Amino acid sequence: MDRSSEFDKMRHVASLELMMEWMPSPYESQEINRLTLAHFAISGLAILGALDQIDKDRVINWVLSLRAQPKDKAELEKGEFYGFHGSRSSQFDRHDGKDLVPNGSHLASTYCALAILRIIGYDLSSMDSESIITSMRQLQQHDGSFTPIHLGAETDLRFVYCAAAICFMFNNWTGMDREKAKEYILRCQSYDGGFGLVPGSESHGGGTYCAVAALRLMGFIEADILSKSTLWTTINVPLLLEWCIQRQGVDGGFQGRANKASDTCYAFWVGGVLKILGAYHFLDKNALRRFLLSCESQYGGFQKFPEDATPDLYHSYYGLAALSLLEEPGLVPLCVELGIPSPEII
Amino acid sequence: MSSDDGEECLPLSQRPEWADVRPVPQDDGPKPVVPIHYRENFREAMDYFRAVYLADERSLRSLNLTSEVIGLNPGNYTVWHFRRLVLEALNADLHEERDYVDRVAERFPKNYQIWHHRRWLAEKLGPKAADKELEFTKKIFTIDAKNYHTWSHRQWVLLALGGWDDELDYCQKLIENDVFNNSAWNQRYFVITKSPLLGGLQAMRESEVSFAIKAILTNPQNESPWRYLRGLYKGDIEQLLSDNQVPEVCLQVLKSGRNFLFALSMLLDLLCFGFQPSDEFKRIVEGLTNSESSSSDTNLATSVCNVLETVDPLRANYWAWRRRTLPSMVC
Repeated sequence: MDRSSEFDKMRHVASLELMMEWMPSPYESQEINRLTLAHFAISGLAILGALDQIDKDRVINWVLSLRAQPKDKAELEKGEFYGFHGSRSSQFDRHDGKDLVPNGSHLASTYCALAILRIIGYDLSSMDSESIITSMRQLQQHDGSFTPIHLGAETDLRFVYCAAAICFMFNNWTGMDREKAKEYILRCQSYDGGFGLVPGSESHGGGTYCAVAALRLMGFIEADILSKSTLWTTINVPLLLEWCIQRQGVDGGFQGRANKASDTCYAFWVGGVLKILGAYHFLDKNALRRFLLSCESQYGGFQKFPEDATPDLYHSYYGLAALSLLEEPGLVPLCVELGIPSPEII
Repeated sequence: MSSDDGEECLPLSQRPEWADVRPVPQDDGPKPVVPIHYRENFREAMDYFRAVYLADERSLRSLNLTSEVIGLNPGNYTVWHFRRLVLEALNADLHEERDYVDRVAERFPKNYQIWHHRRWLAEKLGPKAADKELEFTKKIFTIDAKNYHTWSHRQWVLLALGGWDDELDYCQKLIENDVFNNSAWNQRYFVITKSPLLGGLQAMRESEVSFAIKAILTNPQNESPWRYLRGLYKGDIEQLLSDNQVPEVCLQVLKSGRNFLFALSMLLDLLCFGFQPSDEFKRIVEGLTNSESSSSDTNLATSVCNVLETVDPLRANYWAWRRRTLPSMVC
């Protein structure tokens, strides 16, 4: 593989270490899910093999402080989800004896919290997972999809994925009805082989990752299914494969939908699907690497497009994740279906 | 004194109508990770929001405050949730609320919470809300015809509230505006399969095949109509094989000698399903191959893969694998 252009690891480490201590004002709009921002920074540093500078106790304490806890078992039965809040802005002290203020913990924030703890080396089996696993069942809808908060929100594949990842990390599948979730996922496969975020919607790179990774986590797809002549009774794999492989554009990058511009993050979302299917070697790795490096910011981090002026944390994380899939030297390999570095290797 | 349009305003602490409220600061803990450098107006608005939320004050000033906070951060679902509680408590005019949401959605068209709130509103207003919702999504599409949230919302409105009458025509118009708009093609598929006013996929197939073929011949390098054409035969490979319009359009594009990548991959799929090609196909594809590598013993599918490996080098490994894994009886 052509590695003649340099990937400057230290620039990215410096930028993420700075973000751990200080995020600029424009991130106010993502305030509600600060845990997700923390996940991108910490998991990003983990991919870069630069976790040693992190104060792990500090991270663990902060993450655990965002947990919603029911007072007692009776409260657990009342229909609220007891996971992690994305930040203090959805976390309020409850008044004694009053139910005035419902807890606003969120499924995606819970995934991020567990991902961080796992990467940092916190033993998830030492955690009381019962309230999370029991209460998350309330979030699954009749059609198998998930809503992220019991207060009411959109339901789509992103949260089916989060639910599967949470159950997987706790190794406890009583938190969801896997069959129903699978049925919902199958309904999201579009006529062109990709997956939309909800049934009927356009095939989308992020939706496709959530679908395939969730099926893999739940045990409905074997690893490297392409190399096995199994009958594909779940999803239309050949059509999916062709859809994925067509997402790579002449600029080497991946687009999220047909006839749209290439964007850094889809190198992970779609590349990740190809990896799960055992088809990663079908894409043009040199061209992809060139595209990713063209989206690298001189200040560290990655931009959405080459022409963009500013990097952001989301594209920075998925840029690093995509480079890890490309086996860039010095980067830690990923557990693709969890979207985070393999803890055994960190 | 609401400011949902982000204008400069007097700080809350200096407004007489808020004098009785003690703002509640955020307790971030001793060593928070990824602390955000909040601007002063953001911090203050959140401190006052916390106060009314904890006090469960469902008043008009609370409603206006949520507008201010939403203007600074439309992603805060706690604020939206509280806003809904306040709207219900005040028995607010939901048509006015819809006007408000129109303005906010135009400012932040890619925000999930706004669209969810819109759905909540439409559910409350009932089927008569359908027209306005469809009209609003059309407005967003004039700015961004591929906005994913907006398409999801439009599909939900049609399924939940109705309004299908003009949908196929609308898809037609969007495709005429931009034949590369894959969202419009997806919507067309949604309409022909889900609309209660049309006969369903099988009934619509013939006319839709003609429509797709016309689009393909105009721009053979456009992926959308190729996928759409294939999708018209979803779950019905027999029909795909017996309908000679499909291989015919492949042949026409191949004969033109340009932009034939999708024609080749469609032909490959047909061959893998058992399509029996005429000699004309073999001649045309042979004309596209590197004459050194072709041989009269090579079957057509193998030749197609060879051509694809050469003319679509980005996916050379994929086409090589397709060649290696061809079904044994393929032509």
